[in-house]
Amino acid sequence: MRKICLIFFVMCALNPSYAQSIDDIRVNRYVDLATTIGKSQGSISGSYVYNRRSWNKKKWEAGISLRWTGYVGTKAEFITAPARLARTNTIPFLIFFAGQRKESQDTLTVQRPLTNSINLALNIGYNFNSKWSLGFNIDIIGFTFGRRSSAILTTHGKMQTEPAAKPASFNLLLTGDHDRGSLNSEFFLRYHLNDTWSIRAIYEFLFVEYKTQSVKQVAPDGTIVNRFRNKANTFGLGFSYHFKTKYYL
Amino acid sequence: MRLLIVLGFLGLFIQSCRKDYASSIPLQENVDTTIASVKYSGDFMSGPFGSVSGTAKIYETGGFYQVALRDMTISNGPDLHVYLSQEEQPLNFIDLGKLKSTSGNQVYPVINIPDFSLYKYVLIHCQKYNHLFGSAQVEP
Repeated sequence: MRKICLIFFVMCALNPSYAQSIDDIRVNRYVDLATTIGKSQGSISGSYVYNRRSWNKKKWEAGISLRWTGYVGTKAEFITAPARLARTNTIPFLIFFAGQRKESQDTLTVQRPLTNSINLALNIGYNFNSKWSLGFNIDIIGFTFGRRSSAILTTHGKMQTEPAAKPASFNLLLTGDHDRGSLNSEFFLRYHLNDTWSIRAIYEFLFVEYKTQSVKQVAPDGTIVNRFRNKANTFGLGFSYHFKTKYYL
Repeated sequence: MRLLIVLGFLGLFIQSCRKDYASSIPLQENVDTTIASVKYSGDFMSGPFGSVSGTAKIYETGGFYQVALRDMTISNGPDLHVYLSQEEQPLNFIDLGKLKSTSGNQVYPVINIPDFSLYKYVLIHCQKYNHLFGSAQVEP
């Protein structure tokens, strides 16, 4: 009998259905669907986010997410991508403040770009109160697939046709124009409609990279370039469904 | 009501697609031949993706060049452009702008002075889908 009682208590302790549980406010876990639009281009993204709340009365939160970003445009302009040719200063982080090297930048006009990127992203946010919060997220690593499209490479008014430019397949965050591939980042203001649903107003900054195959840029220093980057500034809305995470006592 | 909304959106979508197409109203633009002289000319032939007939003439007026398309009849398509090209396919070219009309006479200024021994073709090209509608080899 003592053995049976012991087994029963052990099972009760191990099985959460017998344990008392409360909502864990340390975790903010949600799925999100967002869409943004800009000049002749737009994006749709879906993500799963796992953030931990800590520090100042659980107002700060940070975490990771897995995000799919679909990008579509028409006659989108992509400029010379390699940082050394695009910017006057290529020191990481300082590159954000560096000037453009116009003399070595050519334009690839991709007629019908369409990409799908799947990236791991970093998130950070601050909760002002139970209703309002502010956040930022940025893709760090992943891959891209998408549609090949004809494109026109313009160099000093002369044009060449690229029959099948394709999206760069590997994405990696390396700061500014050092970045490779297609990376999404968002600044957003969130409003919680209730415990499970929230809505976001988003400013999105999206890097998309296409590579040429038959036509290449020859930079003034003789460098052969086939990577071209579009920097899309878009605005939009997102909807999030927040999961309740239980904390067992 | 729902049907009206759907039809409205469908109409807007079709209209936005048609916006890419060139006008079909015949144009009557002409070069002033009292001061301009024909340097190069050639007849259009249809390409693999459209039908084009008419003549391309390149006029010069004091070092300034214009491409005149005369008696044109072009099958319509999205995003049609007029190119001055080095090859019969648009590999190396200068974009003279969107096609103004699918019929009649029209004139396109050439901004820079290209080497016409290299740029020997005038093309009608669908830029969006990279489809050649027609070409004319222009000769002195």
